[in-house]
This record gives sequence, C-alpha cells and structure tokens, in this order.
Amino acid sequence: MRGFLEYVPGDSLLHRLNPVAKVLFAVLFAIACFCTGNLVFLAAMLAVGLGLAASCGMLRPTFGLMKAVLVFSLLLAVLLLLTTPVGDRLVDLPWGYIGTGSVLAAVTTIVRLEAAAIPLFLVFYVTKMSDLSNAAVKVLHVPYKYAFTFASTVHFIPVFMNDMGAIMEAQTARGIQFDQGGIVKKVRLMAPLCVPLLVSSVRKTNSSAIAAEVRGFDLRTRASGYREYPLKAADWLALVLGAALLAAAIALNFLP
Amino acid sequence: MIEFRDVRASYDGRIPILKGVDFAIGQGEFVAFAGTNGAGKSTAMRLINGLLKPDSGQVLIDGVPTTQLKTSELAHRVGFLFQNPDRQICCGTVREELLFGFKALGELDAQAEQRVDAIIERFGFDPDADPFLLNRGARQLLALASIVVLETPVVVLDEPTTGLDFRECVKVMEVISQLHRAGTTVVMVCHDMEVVADFAERVIVMSEGRVVDQGSTFEVLRNPRTLEEAHLVPPQIVDISLALPLMDARLAESPVAAADTLNEMQVAVETMAGRAPVGGFVLEEAAERLQGAPGPQELQPPAVPVPSDSKEVLR
Amino acid sequence: MIQLRDFCFRYRECSQPAVMDVNLDIPAGSFTGITGPAGSGKSMLTYALNGIVPYCYPGDFYGEVLIDGHDTCDTSLTDISRLVGSVCQDIDSQFVASVVEDEMLYGLENFGVAHELIPARVDEALEAMGIADLRDRLIASLSGGQKQKVAIASILALRPKVLVLDEPTAELDPASSRQVFLLLADYARRHGTTVVVVEQKIALLSEFADLLVIMQDGRVRFADAPAAVLARSEELLSIGVNCPRSTTLMNRLAAAGLYAGPVCTDVAQASRALLEVVA
Repeated sequence: MRGFLEYVPGDSLLHRLNPVAKVLFAVLFAIACFCTGNLVFLAAMLAVGLGLAASCGMLRPTFGLMKAVLVFSLLLAVLLLLTTPVGDRLVDLPWGYIGTGSVLAAVTTIVRLEAAAIPLFLVFYVTKMSDLSNAAVKVLHVPYKYAFTFASTVHFIPVFMNDMGAIMEAQTARGIQFDQGGIVKKVRLMAPLCVPLLVSSVRKTNSSAIAAEVRGFDLRTRASGYREYPLKAADWLALVLGAALLAAAIALNFLP
Repeated sequence: MIEFRDVRASYDGRIPILKGVDFAIGQGEFVAFAGTNGAGKSTAMRLINGLLKPDSGQVLIDGVPTTQLKTSELAHRVGFLFQNPDRQICCGTVREELLFGFKALGELDAQAEQRVDAIIERFGFDPDADPFLLNRGARQLLALASIVVLETPVVVLDEPTTGLDFRECVKVMEVISQLHRAGTTVVMVCHDMEVVADFAERVIVMSEGRVVDQGSTFEVLRNPRTLEEAHLVPPQIVDISLALPLMDARLAESPVAAADTLNEMQVAVETMAGRAPVGGFVLEEAAERLQGAPGPQELQPPAVPVPSDSKEVLR
Repeated sequence: MIQLRDFCFRYRECSQPAVMDVNLDIPAGSFTGITGPAGSGKSMLTYALNGIVPYCYPGDFYGEVLIDGHDTCDTSLTDISRLVGSVCQDIDSQFVASVVEDEMLYGLENFGVAHELIPARVDEALEAMGIADLRDRLIASLSGGQKQKVAIASILALRPKVLVLDEPTAELDPASSRQVFLLLADYARRHGTTVVVVEQKIALLSEFADLLVIMQDGRVRFADAPAAVLARSEELLSIGVNCPRSTTLMNRLAAAGLYAGPVCTDVAQASRALLEVVA
C-alpha cells in the first residue's frame, strides 16, 4: 500500500493541466456517470478513464483501485440482482426472480462506479496537493485555511498508512498472524492496533499544526502564493469536455 | 544459528537493497551490524524474522529457510525490538503489554503470567501504569522487556539506544548484556560505535547493500580501510590509539597501540609515563571528593587495574 | 540576542515546573548547545525561544524571555517567527509539501517575501545545505539525512536571526550528523545567525558550540564554554551526561597528576596531549 494517494512526479498532459481544471473535470465526469444508466455510454466512459490513466503512466495503481472498487460494487450488484425483478425471468427466488434486467442493472452499477472513481483517483496521483490547494486559493478564491486543511488531510493519508504498516509489522514480529485467517479474525486482531496509530496521529497532527504556525501560516493570503495558476487553452478544453460529457449523459435519458 | 546465503532483497520489488549478502551468526553470539543509514542493516534484520523474504538466496534460521516458516513460528525463535517502541506498544497497562506477546503466540497460561510477574519485579515496573504516559526511555525499556519475557533464543535489536539519554542507554544495554550472558543470541544494529565496542563480540559492516567487513569488534573497528569504506566513526579511544602510532613511530610498539578501552588506555599511558598504573583508584577517590560519598553505581571503577580482556561498560 | 530572566514554565496539567530559574544570555552570532538527561527541560527551552511557549501550550509562564530586545509575551507568535526559525524534532510532520521545492516555498510565501526575491532565496538555502540537486525530488523518497537538510534549508531560506533546532541528528548516523553540524555552523558563521541546538551527542556540541548549557531537573546546571563544562566530566556523569571519552581520559590523567594542560574536547586534542604525556 506504499504510495497510496501519493503524488507521482511526471510530465504528462494530465500532470501539466491546471489543478482546478483537473478536479472540476473529474467531478463533472463522475456526475455524468451517475446521470445515466446507458451501459454503452458508461463502458465508453470507463474506457476514457483507463485511457487517461494510461496517458500518465498510472495504469498499475488504477488497476489496484479498480480491484478495491470492484469488491464494494459487487456487494451492491448482488443486492441489486436479488432485489430488482426486471426483464426476462432467469432464476426464481422465494421473493421474486432474477431477470435479464436485474443482471443489466448489476453490471451497470459496477461499470458506473468503476468509471466514476478513476479520474477522481488519478487527480491525487498527478497533482501535488500543494498545487491543488494553492490553485484553489488563487483561481477559485477558496479561503486558504480550508484549502490547507484539505491538503494536509490528504498529505497525512500516506503518512498514517506507513505508520499502520510499521505497527502491523511490529506486531507480526511478535507473532500475530495477519497473514492468515478470515476477515473477521483479521479485524479482531487489528482493532487494538488502532491505539498506537491514534496516539501517533494525534502527536503528529499537533506538531504539524505548530510547525505550520511558526512558519507564518496565519499571515498567508491569496497573494502569498509564489506560483500562478492561469487557466490555459487546454484547461478550458478539459472543462468544456467535462461539461459536454455531463450534457451527453443527461441527454441520453431523454432518448426514446 | 542464523545464516544468510547470497541474499538479495529489494524494496517494493524494484529498488535493490541487499545485493548478495553472506554471513553466519552462531548460537550465543553478540553481533553488531554497523554502517550508514541506508546501508541495508535494517533490511537484513527484517529478513531474519521473516517480515521480508529474500528475492533470491536463502535466509536460514536453525537450518530452515524463512520462506518455509510461518511468521508465528519465526516469532517463537526470534524476538524483535523495533527502533520506535511506539510501534510495538498497544495495550492499556504495562502488565497487559507484557502479556500481549504470549497472547499473540497463543501461549497465555499460568506459567506465562509467572514470567511476566517476575519481569515486572526485575525491571521495577508499575504493572498498572499506562504505557503511553511513560517517557521515551521507559517505553523503550518496556518494549524490550516484552521481548525478553518471551525468552526467544534469538533477539534482534534495531538501534536500541537511539533517542535515549545516557542513563537510559546504560539501562537498556545492561538488560541486553544480561540476555547475552544468559546464552541468548543477540543481533544488534547500532550507530553508536562506543556502544558497539563496549558490548559486541563481533561486528558485521555493511555498505550499499553489501557486507564489506566482518570480524572481532576491535579488529574491524581498527581497520582504517573498513572505517573509510563504510563511513564509520570509530570509538574515540580507538581513534586516539590509531592516531598515536602515526604521529610517533616509537609508540607503535607501545601498549597504547592495542589499548581499546578507556581503562586500558589509561593503564597504558600511565605505564609509558613511567608510573605504576593506578587505573581506576584515582577516579574512585576523585568521585568521593566530589560527592562527599561514594559515587553512584556507574561511577565505581573496577577495584584492580583492568585485565585486558574485560570490557568497560559505556564509559 | 537572547536573554532569559528567571524564566520558569509549568504545564497546566503538571504540578512541577518543566523549567525554572533559567537565566541565560546568548550573544548574537553564537552557537549554543543544550544537553542534559531526558526530562531535564531541554526542549522546553527551545519552546521558550520560538514562542511555542506561551502561545501553543497552556501553562504558567514566569520571568521574561527577550529575543533581540522583544519580550516574547508581548510579541505575537508570528512576529517571533520572523526572528526565530525553528526546526522541530519530528521533521516528518513539519513537512507540508510533497516536493522539496514546494517545501522551500511555503515559509517564504507566508512571510510575504517579494516574489522576485524568492528564487534566489531558495537557491541560496539549498546550496547552504548542499542539496541543490534534490530540488525536484519527492520528500518521501529521501534518506533521513537528506530530509533533515531539507527541513533546515526550508527554515534558512527565511533568513532568521535566530535558528532553533531540537535534536536535529537524533535519527542520523554519526557521519551524517557531523555533516549537518558542519553545514549549519558554516552557514551561521557566514550570515551571523545565532544558533541554539538541543542535542544528545555531546561530542558534536563540544566541537561546534561556543556555549554549552547542561540542564538538570529543569534547571541550568552549567552554562559555559565547552572546555570549562567538560572539565567537570565526573560531575556530569553523576547527573547522567556522558562526556566524550577522549575528554574523560585526559581528565582522569589530569586527576592522576600526569597531565596539566587544557581540557581536551576532541580526539585530535587528546592525541596531541597524550604525546606530551608519554614523551
């Protein structure tokens, strides 16, 4: 799990886009996925997402994400399968039936969640959090305090993941078997380990707040940021593309 | 018995850390690993207790490759003290923390409780204290005690004295030294060459993922080429005795050339200055004068001039 | 540059003061080392200098702390920060950025350094710490020694008059530790920066510091030139501070009447002195 949600340096088009444009595009993209049930369109969106991942060399972590999303969406899909008796009857259930429509709904859910997640996820890998927060302050006029809070939260995710990894390693060395047993057993073993994680997290966030304060955090204004984040042609294009995808998704609902 | 045979290991399967490492550590030995940050020492330690498996080559514990042993089986044989005790401590009281190791191994019984109570007594712990409210040195000692209580035949220590003050350092090293005397195999990563010189019998020096030298402690620490190659800072007394023969050829044949501890050096200098060696006596008197009473325990020097094979502890 | 007058601080939840009766005068441009056993109040002294006390930790503050003539109790934390740059003990939580260059920018941006001056400041600080080549690296990919240098450089870029460091070499091997001190001392000499560093490695302090402060149970036990402090090696040992062994050896020989020269604070001095003893 090392490097989870951590910026990976690069020079691809996605790396170079304005951080604000990237986030807005990803959000528009995700909304578009939830605005339509058209499986062909969603599959196309998924392909676009994978294309974006490939364009910045992030296919490997993306597949990792897809696996995680799959686990979650499968749960939803099974639920849908059992509770939406639609279409031609395939399997009889005591309370209804599984039909072709149910299968379609289940598959749609999986594809939709996968497609929606990818661009949002990619943003974290191709954008430095400091750029994202600074750009949000400069371009969107978000108050710096909020932008910084968000950036620090994301910044701490890998830190805490590493801590958790080290704690689990230390406990494994004492003979706890994280590498065996079912999920229930694993959760039971991991519960007490949250205590050291919590203790170290509180310490870290506290000293990090103090460190920021003695480096003039309170003085920062919108004009402070050294880097400028103008929206360039490619950024506008990304925004227009995002809007177009959303419009297309909504329009599909009104097709006969 | 721990044996590395042409071990290669990497980080995330990409960045190579160990590039073909061979060594063997016999039962009951006290071996220190020396080298700069990033030389591969900590990785070697993680291979010993199977937290990491080699990419190629073999790590054998009592003749069995770690790849064939389960983590729990390894935990029975190898106790591991991490650099940061906060990663290890997870229970609400000192006593629970000491029992936790037995729980993890599934061996919580009356005998385990007896051993825990004995160690609480020996270390002078408050069994109901909250480990998270103890200071850094006490937490390190607790983490160490929770390893000691399991009585594993091998103990691996990753920089056990980092972040401790002198007194805490003495306490921790005393415990480790007792373990060693009781027959436990001790493997220690340590940056402080003074500590290494005081305690280790043998040193394995690593640099950039390879073993560059190994041998008896002073043989290694007096080898200028090893010191340079691995960027080691030798103990000050060794540094002085290395510097002296270079400055004055006459000294090359003097006892100073082999004076590796403070007391040996003092005895040698006193002899050369044409004085019967008085060694520690002077110090004891000085301590009494300063304190108006005998000094604290760590101040008391040996009563006789130190025989050359004795090790002076941390001074 | 720094004056502490009868300084005493007690954390709100503690019955005993963390430090008390501290009187110190630290001249401008000097290099001060603070050491002492765990819990002796070393870190608290750094908090008093960089304003973390009284501004971040609740408690009772007695006496006064003057930085460049400003009483820290009458000066805002931000204004103290303009004078005093601090490198925390836990550098991993000090970092706000993922790339070295952004980390360097953070303080400069906040303190409103004119944007046209920023590139030169960044270059200068990176070069002072000898890490110009790390500029575009991910902080997560750096070694402990490199991270420490980045943390120091990001503060040097602010050109503080006073630099306060809390155990900057705790996680480093001896070779990197010494290098950090060498770079730091060199920068301070060139810029006239006053440096205050808390450190366990007393051999490093005795090599680099002009003033060595030994804390014991919240009080200043010794504050003097390193040689003067190290002359009391046995006394230091009794309070849990271990002198460099070259110093201890020469002090013992001096006590035995074999050596009458000045106190040796490092190996080179001790080696030279020994040659005279056995001559």
